[in-house]
Amino acid sequence: MSNLYRFLHLTVVIFVFIIVGCASRDSTGINAYNQFAIKAAEAGLWNEAIYRWNQVITIDPNNAAAHNNLGVGYEAQGKINDAVASYERATELDPDSKYYRINYRRCRLHIRRSGSETTESVDEPNSE
Amino acid sequence: MHHLITLMQKLITTHIWQFLRLNRRAFTAYSILLLILSLTGCSTHVSRVSIPIKVQSEIDIDTYSKFAVLPFVSEEHSSKLGELPVEIGDDIGEILRSRLARQEKFEIVDKQETKRLMTGEEINEEWLEDTEHLSELGKYFEVKGIIVGSYRFISDTQPRRYYGERYSTRHQRYIMDYHDYLQKSYLLSLRVMIIDIDTQDIIWDQVYHQKTAEAHTLGSFVFSQMAPQERTLKELSKRAIANFVREITPHYEEEDRFLIR
Repeated sequence: MSNLYRFLHLTVVIFVFIIVGCASRDSTGINAYNQFAIKAAEAGLWNEAIYRWNQVITIDPNNAAAHNNLGVGYEAQGKINDAVASYERATELDPDSKYYRINYRRCRLHIRRSGSETTESVDEPNSE
Repeated sequence: MHHLITLMQKLITTHIWQFLRLNRRAFTAYSILLLILSLTGCSTHVSRVSIPIKVQSEIDIDTYSKFAVLPFVSEEHSSKLGELPVEIGDDIGEILRSRLARQEKFEIVDKQETKRLMTGEEINEEWLEDTEHLSELGKYFEVKGIIVGSYRFISDTQPRRYYGERYSTRHQRYIMDYHDYLQKSYLLSLRVMIIDIDTQDIIWDQVYHQKTAEAHTLGSFVFSQMAPQERTLKELSKRAIANFVREITPHYEEEDRFLIR
């Protein structure tokens, strides 16, 4: 019977972790904003996506994922300096994430290739 | 009431435990389910998106914005096809001229003007090495760069075997079968050079390879040998020129980035 109780306790602990872990992810609507922004980005609506990620950052300034995603949005719009700043912030907040580092590295590679280290691209590559 | 609930709980848990202890498969499935729930509930999702990346021209387009395109020359002793149309060099030049003229960054000397200024000139392979002469010619055109080049068109035919399956009525099943055919390949090597008129330097010298192939039976192969090859050559030239134009004009390319859910 002791095995049974040990097993049940373990199950309860795991479920509590799952529920608490998942519930705490969206206590302020951040997750909903982020999901919406990603859908907008996938549809090519970068202005909308950037607006939402900025909202996430207003709520939680230390949200590394939002900074990273915002960097992608800025890069898609050709705002390279803003993109670099966002990627830098994301990697500062979470230095262990390989995805942030990949995005940042690719952005820097693109800057080196295009030779636009200091210039800000003004023309928008795609219109919404 | 409390005792009743406790009793029911004990009864149910005892039954579940008995069931899991007796049925190892169910126990494994239960563990996997818990694992999946943990992973799906708490793992980080990554979404991959393609973003447009501006790629700059590989030449200084502020300096080299006006070009004259000369007819391309055929490389000697290179054609195995023999009967190539003589005027294909002009056609390649014209394709390149029209492609570059579509780009707003470039100003291209038109066909009539080129023809007028080239009257009396005999274009051959030696021209490509004589940058001094090309530079002089460029001054007449009043351009910053002159585009010249050569082409080589090779065709090669190899016997091939295609393996497939067919239904055999004799064996009442599908059996392995093969067909012999002739694969005729065409290869175009297009060399494109840009000469700086002021310094006589070669600022661009690249060879673009394009390939295509067609399958023939013996009968269709005979006909293909007699048919004009001009169309194939033009098509391959268009592809090679598209690559060249892409490299010297600013354009957008798609590149992947990761969004974190």
